[in-house]
Amino acid sequence: MSASYFRITLHRSAIGLPERTRGVLAALGLRKRSQTVFHPVEPQFAGMIMKVKELVRVSEVDRALSPKELREERRPERGFWLEKAVPR
Amino acid sequence: MFGAFRFTNPLSGGLLWKTPWRLSRFQKTRQRRRLRAVDSVVATLDAALAKQGQTLTALETWKETMPTEAEMLPKDKYTIFDRKEKRYRKGIHKLPKWTRVSQRLNPPGY
Repeated sequence: MSASYFRITLHRSAIGLPERTRGVLAALGLRKRSQTVFHPVEPQFAGMIMKVKELVRVSEVDRALSPKELREERRPERGFWLEKAVPR
Repeated sequence: MFGAFRFTNPLSGGLLWKTPWRLSRFQKTRQRRRLRAVDSVVATLDAALAKQGQTLTALETWKETMPTEAEMLPKDKYTIFDRKEKRYRKGIHKLPKWTRVSQRLNPPGY
């Protein structure tokens, strides 16, 4: 049994939602939209995600990425492509 | 004429905020997409915990009681029970924060 992680991304803001809900997000370490955090697959974290399931996107990954790797993921490929003109 | 200070009926004073009585088809599409997103989160949690041989009461309760998007009736997807409404139903968009809360069950028979 290998350790795996929940990759949790805050998709919807919790503005105007109850204090309890925002507290759960704070406990998960989610402060702003599109922020991604990793937590181990445990019932305790699954329960927290259940509380905010309408606000987050979750996937299961086998290791937690560092902030640097997350940033690298978002970086567009360098350089450019030459597109061939479509003959008219 | 245009912009924030245009003279439309809702803006030129008075209490005139019109909320349509039903959802548009684009609102319905997005509503279904949101329902499916919640279903997918629940499925992910369930699969991940099952792999570890763990379980969670909240998750079991949800799976037991809540229908998935495909199982829900259109009536329950887009409307909500209200005892003060004619025929006991109103659009789900009247529910505060309706895009960010789960509202899937209604009283049986209504």
